[in-house]
Amino acid sequence: MESLGDTLWDVVICGTGLQQSLLALALSRSDKKILHLDPNDFYGGAEAAFSLQDAESWAARVATGTGGLFRSASIVRPEDATGSTSRAYSLALAPKLIHARSALLSQLVSSRAYRQVEFLAVGSFHIFKPSQDPVQPSSLARIPSTREEVFSTSAVSTKAKRLLMKFLKFVLNYESSPQLDLWQQHADAPLTQLLQQEFKVDSELQAYIVTLTLSLDGKITTRDGLAVIRRHLSSMGVYGPGFAALYPKWGGLSEIAQVSCRAGAVGGAVYMLGTGIKAMEKVGEETELQLTSGDKVKTRLLVQADDNPSGQTETGISRLVAVIASPLTSQFEASVEGAPRPAVTITAFPAGSLSTTSGKASEYPVYLSAHSSDTGECPLGQSVLYLTTLSIPDAKDILQQALNAFRGVSGDDQALQVLYQLQYEQLSGSKTIQTDGSTITLPTPSLSLSLEDSILGPVHEAWEKVMGDAAVEAEYMAFSDREGVMDDDDVYDE
Amino acid sequence: MADSGNAPKPSSSVKLVLLGEAAVGKSSLVLRFVNNDFQENKEPTIGAAFLTQKCNLPTRTIKFEIWDTAGQERFASLAPMYYRNAQAALVVYDLTKPTSLIKAKHWVAELQRQASPGIVISLVGNKLDLTNDGAGDGGGEEGAAEDSGDARKVTTEEAKTYAEDEGLLFFETSAKTGYNVTEVFTAIANSIPETSLKTARGPNASHAPSRTEEQRVNLNGPRDSGAKDSCAC
Ligand SMILES: Nc1nc2c(ncn2[C@@H]2O[C@H](COP(=O)(O)OP(=O)(O)OP(=O)(O)O)[C@@H](O)[C@H]2O)c(=O)[nH]1
Ligand SMILES: [Mg+2]
Repeated sequence: MESLGDTLWDVVICGTGLQQSLLALALSRSDKKILHLDPNDFYGGAEAAFSLQDAESWAARVATGTGGLFRSASIVRPEDATGSTSRAYSLALAPKLIHARSALLSQLVSSRAYRQVEFLAVGSFHIFKPSQDPVQPSSLARIPSTREEVFSTSAVSTKAKRLLMKFLKFVLNYESSPQLDLWQQHADAPLTQLLQQEFKVDSELQAYIVTLTLSLDGKITTRDGLAVIRRHLSSMGVYGPGFAALYPKWGGLSEIAQVSCRAGAVGGAVYMLGTGIKAMEKVGEETELQLTSGDKVKTRLLVQADDNPSGQTETGISRLVAVIASPLTSQFEASVEGAPRPAVTITAFPAGSLSTTSGKASEYPVYLSAHSSDTGECPLGQSVLYLTTLSIPDAKDILQQALNAFRGVSGDDQALQVLYQLQYEQLSGSKTIQTDGSTITLPTPSLSLSLEDSILGPVHEAWEKVMGDAAVEAEYMAFSDREGVMDDDDVYDE
Repeated sequence: MADSGNAPKPSSSVKLVLLGEAAVGKSSLVLRFVNNDFQENKEPTIGAAFLTQKCNLPTRTIKFEIWDTAGQERFASLAPMYYRNAQAALVVYDLTKPTSLIKAKHWVAELQRQASPGIVISLVGNKLDLTNDGAGDGGGEEGAAEDSGDARKVTTEEAKTYAEDEGLLFFETSAKTGYNVTEVFTAIANSIPETSLKTARGPNASHAPSRTEEQRVNLNGPRDSGAKDSCAC
């Protein structure tokens, strides 16, 4: 058997985050010699999913300052949960939703990797309405995002319904001519400006619309906002009635990363966990890598991800992952007849709807993604809540307030009991792919709450580099089922 | 494994992973189960292989999604990726090679430590045809590999006792003759609790409300059929 050092690798991929893993999938039929490493002893990098024990060791490592993009991780665990209980959890570091119209889904289908992923429906988006006066308690309102929903909702006034309908209709064709004129002058201004000036939408309804974009600072530009809302609307009903987005069972993007690595392994890639790159040296056309395992390997190309934070704290997020002792049954009901039961719902707390312990109003929105046990992320009878806000000094406090507020309005008394909490910060970094000779550095994982197609471009670019002259565009991520894989009930016809 | 062609029975997928030392016959067992075939000089698996096969039980159909991993040490990092969320594991040793049982015990311990709680594990001693017990079982192939004797190095007793202590299913098989191969998979199919087929796995799985395919979103579903219209405003 050839040893690692005797092989001249075509590419060494370092890290098993989503982008590196998708690259492994893209190269899985290429006959290239691929060595896929990860300095972590788990798969998924910034998109990993953890059992409680995994989360514990991860948090401990982040606390020592070697967590790369992650900091300030802490765990509150009133109850001892180890051994097999620990493994009944799969807490996602990247609980992103994937819109039905996402290019990632098309690539998972054409590459056949989707067969190993179990997709669940993401249900309604809600907005938190704080109590205005003592007689009217706080509540959750469902955001209507289809014509039917706008008609039937009692959450907004008749006038607001008319405005909302007009806006939704506008968005569906916003890139064609009469619509174009209306928004282009506002393109780089916040979406709220367009809503206010051109659609005369009041601030309450603005919050509804901005929530659909899941914008972390609530200040998404008109250009980006319209694109995201359009994607949301056109994703509605694509894979069944009543939902626009999907979530992979067993920890979200972690599952996609692992399925991709498995495809890489089936294609012959060699995998090494717990092994990073200690030093590298250019030797002629090749790069010699010294691995932390002590091995020395030679490769033509190295693909890694940038996990150095850019240093701008305002682009970081603060996250609270809470396991609660309630199935939150009322949250996970199908919204329309014939729709699959959703496993994930979203609740937004608009800026100003919460206040810190010292009474300061929240500056940015908080998004809460509630996951039922159907996601495989917690045992039956429990739910996992992922709360996210921009990382500012008050963020931790605000997330706790949001959690409390949600427990107050979620319509389930038992929701009061929090079994487990994990808190951390995640920083952002470079947004572009960088090529330096034979080293390709993929962008830092994005912090967005829904998967953006923009993460796919750099993967494609890296694939082109690795393939060189052998790159055939039409073959990118387009594979047939491997021999021995049955094509049964779910035949995909192209 | 032939389909009976009766009225459709409920069908569920079961993710199964094969683990074990190199050359014990993991891929050969899968080849026997899936294609009813055997190759005298099967090349070592690189990375992993993925295959599927249906198993018809009286009351339901199980579709096995089989991950056959490479046994060579350099692929050891792969295993966690495959046993994660697996409902069943086949840990294979070669009953003519005692070290392979030691390796199998390591895998069992790792599964018990790291895999889904409630995973069904079957310990399989393969290459029974190379022993005296193998004679006569597979029809016609007896003694083919060893002229006179018995190459067995791991007694049935030893492996069986270990399997019982650890709560594992246990079989001795021959991928070469086909002896007991289907039985291994059928036993696994039968051991997977009905509830865990339909529900999220976990400590409380038995209290599950019935969860059916209604939840899983099929990406081959009504794609493009009126997608835009349903949200037309
Ligand atoms: N006599 C005999 N030989 C077998 C049996 N099963 C497998 N073999 C042989 O043993 C060798 C190894 O079999 P494989 O199925 O490739 O073993 P493996 O466990 O998949 O090996 P790796 O992929 O390297 O982990 C091959 O030459 C097979 O023909 C069996 O039941 N009896
Ligand atoms: Mg093999």
